Amino acid sequence: MNDHRRPVLAIHAALIAVLAGLQVVIPPFHHTLVARIMVLAAYATGYNLLLGYTGLMSLGHAMFFAAGMYGTGLPLLYLGLGAPQAVLIGVAASIVLSTAVGMLTLRTSGVSFLIVTLMFAQVFYLSTLYFNRFTLGDQGFVLSGHLHPITIGPIRFALTDPAVRYNLALATFGGCLGLSLWLVRSPIGRVLVAIRENEDRTRLLGYNPFAYKLLVLVISGAVSGLCGSVYAVITSYVGASFAAILYSIYPLLWTLLGGPGTTLGPLVGAAAMTYTVEVASRFTSSYLIVVGGALVILVMRFPSGIVGGIRRRWAPWLP
Amino acid sequence: MGAVAALIALLQTRALAKTFGGVEAVRSADFRVERGEIRALIGPNGAGKTTLVSMICGRIVPTSGRILFKGRDITRTQAFHRAAFGIVYTFQISSVFRNLTVHENVAIAVQRRVMRRAWDRIALDQQALASEVQHALAQTGLAGLGGRLAGSLPHGHQKLLEVSMALALQPELLILDEPTQGLTREEIAAFSRFMRAIAEGTTILLIEHDMQVVLDLSRRITVMDQGRIIAEGTPAEIEANREVQRVYLGP
Amino acid sequence: MTLEGRLFLALLEGIVTGFILALIALGLSLVFGVMRIVNVAHGEFFMLGAVCAWSVASWTSSFALAVVAAPILVGAIALLVNRIVLRPIHYEPQATIVATIGLLYIIQQLVLTLYGPYARTVTPPFYLRIDFPWFGYSGYKLAVAGASALLLWLTWRVVSTTTLGLYMRATQQDQEMAQAFGVPVYRVYAVAFAIGAALAAIAGALIIPIQPAHYLMGLDALLASFTVVIIGGLGSLGGTLAAAFLIGLSDGVVSVFFSPTLARIVSSALVALVLVFKTGGLAGNDTN
Repeated sequence: MNDHRRPVLAIHAALIAVLAGLQVVIPPFHHTLVARIMVLAAYATGYNLLLGYTGLMSLGHAMFFAAGMYGTGLPLLYLGLGAPQAVLIGVAASIVLSTAVGMLTLRTSGVSFLIVTLMFAQVFYLSTLYFNRFTLGDQGFVLSGHLHPITIGPIRFALTDPAVRYNLALATFGGCLGLSLWLVRSPIGRVLVAIRENEDRTRLLGYNPFAYKLLVLVISGAVSGLCGSVYAVITSYVGASFAAILYSIYPLLWTLLGGPGTTLGPLVGAAAMTYTVEVASRFTSSYLIVVGGALVILVMRFPSGIVGGIRRRWAPWLP
Repeated sequence: MGAVAALIALLQTRALAKTFGGVEAVRSADFRVERGEIRALIGPNGAGKTTLVSMICGRIVPTSGRILFKGRDITRTQAFHRAAFGIVYTFQISSVFRNLTVHENVAIAVQRRVMRRAWDRIALDQQALASEVQHALAQTGLAGLGGRLAGSLPHGHQKLLEVSMALALQPELLILDEPTQGLTREEIAAFSRFMRAIAEGTTILLIEHDMQVVLDLSRRITVMDQGRIIAEGTPAEIEANREVQRVYLGP
Repeated sequence: MTLEGRLFLALLEGIVTGFILALIALGLSLVFGVMRIVNVAHGEFFMLGAVCAWSVASWTSSFALAVVAAPILVGAIALLVNRIVLRPIHYEPQATIVATIGLLYIIQQLVLTLYGPYARTVTPPFYLRIDFPWFGYSGYKLAVAGASALLLWLTWRVVSTTTLGLYMRATQQDQEMAQAFGVPVYRVYAVAFAIGAALAAIAGALIIPIQPAHYLMGLDALLASFTVVIIGGLGSLGGTLAAAFLIGLSDGVVSVFFSPTLARIVSSALVALVLVFKTGGLAGNDTN
């Protein structure tokens, strides 16, 4: 494991550098799309910690994403807070929610876990609609006018500036990727994989599986919340659709496509799928069929995903 | 070892019982294992041996009765804590991490012992860990196999791997559930030698069907039948016991 | 309307909903019991039944033909799905869930393409108004309840008296044992899957004079039947029926007095809490 530390770090750093350089190379009207993809890829990266490394499939992560989104958007809208404080609130909200949800859902496993997370997410989504007067859930609300510029030292960053947004998204993805890389190679990461491979054995070796699963669920939830917060800031929009089931299925799809249990997979999956959906939506209103088709084909033929397949064939040392 | 510690049995069960649905798998077992011994637990299929042992290591919750380890009541203690206390169990059907390498398998076990403080969960000396793993593998003769996938090992080696993982935890009580099942005669002989070597530092409780191994290794034997402990004693005493003969050879 | 009037209306609506729900849930329960898989696309079979029935009724002007044709068509689709998707993945629980989520989107979007985003209804095959002191109620709705009850009874007869039913029960009890006794397990799976889909489809067909056929109608049906199956306990016909009425009635009451959204919030929360706190979870489907 140790002999490949440098190439691994180099690859990950190079990826961030490429993404940073992209904003110079690609035309401006693509910037927003790439920024969105980076944040969504970070979302998938958090999801992958739970699915790929710990072996827990959740269908409820949209509630954590939306908790971050609303936890940021509502204070911005109603309290006129600055963006950094609002994002902090969003992340805090998602941590609280994921801890509470984790304490309950982790009493189940496998298919039950899937259904329970789905149901809790449904409750969250429907509540957003039910309290519509407060959350403006149905149509959503726009944040322009509420996103005040932030000043760091002598520099003023306008949050409506596309360049600022791009780099905010890049920083978010970079941070989440770094967290993911560090976690999976740490002693905690080793235990997570052990739990995925054989939970009974892991327990009888003296590890507390519940504690580890809760920890990774909360980390995953917090990452999701951060992404929801940042997504709200860079798109200036908050809406209930991000709490709906499709946004729980997306990270599952992106992770499966990119490669579950690989650090680079989620970015590949998120990028590939988001572009595909974007293109498909220009041809037909039934563009979600590509989501369906991808899921079926992946689970039948390519369970390792793109990066997983690459790793198996050529680079077994990739984390 | 202090005088008091020598007096307290390492493991003791009092009236330990387990009922599944309507079936009494274990009835009121009073069982003692002394420190430093190799104890064999034998009996026909369905006698309740695995159930008894599963209650001891925490996989199954008893219906009634108590379990004491080093004088401490662990009846309500969770399974993973018992491993930390020093009770380590290896499965009847070998349960290793099949998709991980042999090295990883042992590393997971060694890591548990080495992780003392909270900080260790975040950063651990990987070099030191790796050399400990090498040492553990060498002990069981699996030294060259570190890079192989555990699932690709032949059956006998998988069992050895599991034992070596258990030993990496430096257990005080090692519980082996039919460790020689599926091994060749040579492998069994090697295994017996290995067991005698490690018995210096660890108390061993062994569920076995192979009478040769039982007679070879154990100082004392406990016999179970239909959920009850029917006899306990040295190999000679057990061989001469009427009850035991009836159970094994018929009336 | 007076309070008694509203309560009685809620009761009637609850009974009709309960019967329809029982039919859909029975299909889901059958598939889970016999095949040990959760079919997330089950609601789409309900929707397909509605859409097929509408299509047949529009072309042939015969509602009766539509109600007969819909389950046959959807059953055939189910057989196809089972063969080309579920069998190759060996009915592995988590893989099946992902695959059926995919199928959900595929079916839904295909219907969107071919049928369009509109909600379309047909005229009921007969007009009968039953007068109660507070309101007039649709006789057709009561007929639907009756038809559902008949279908439920029929399914129960098939399961408990025919050889097919015996095979299904044997497979549900112990798949390996059944196989050892010569039960053609994979064929039983195919038939069970087709029957499950057909039950949902018939419910969808019966419902279109009351509730228009729309490409998104499967989702509500899925969540509702999920709720019924999990609360009612798996494999138990009596439990499914009881839960269907419980859910149907309480849903009816909450919807009439509060809001449909609140009703759905409550039932989703209920399902989650039942699964969390009930020991044994989904009875054998928990991996690990």
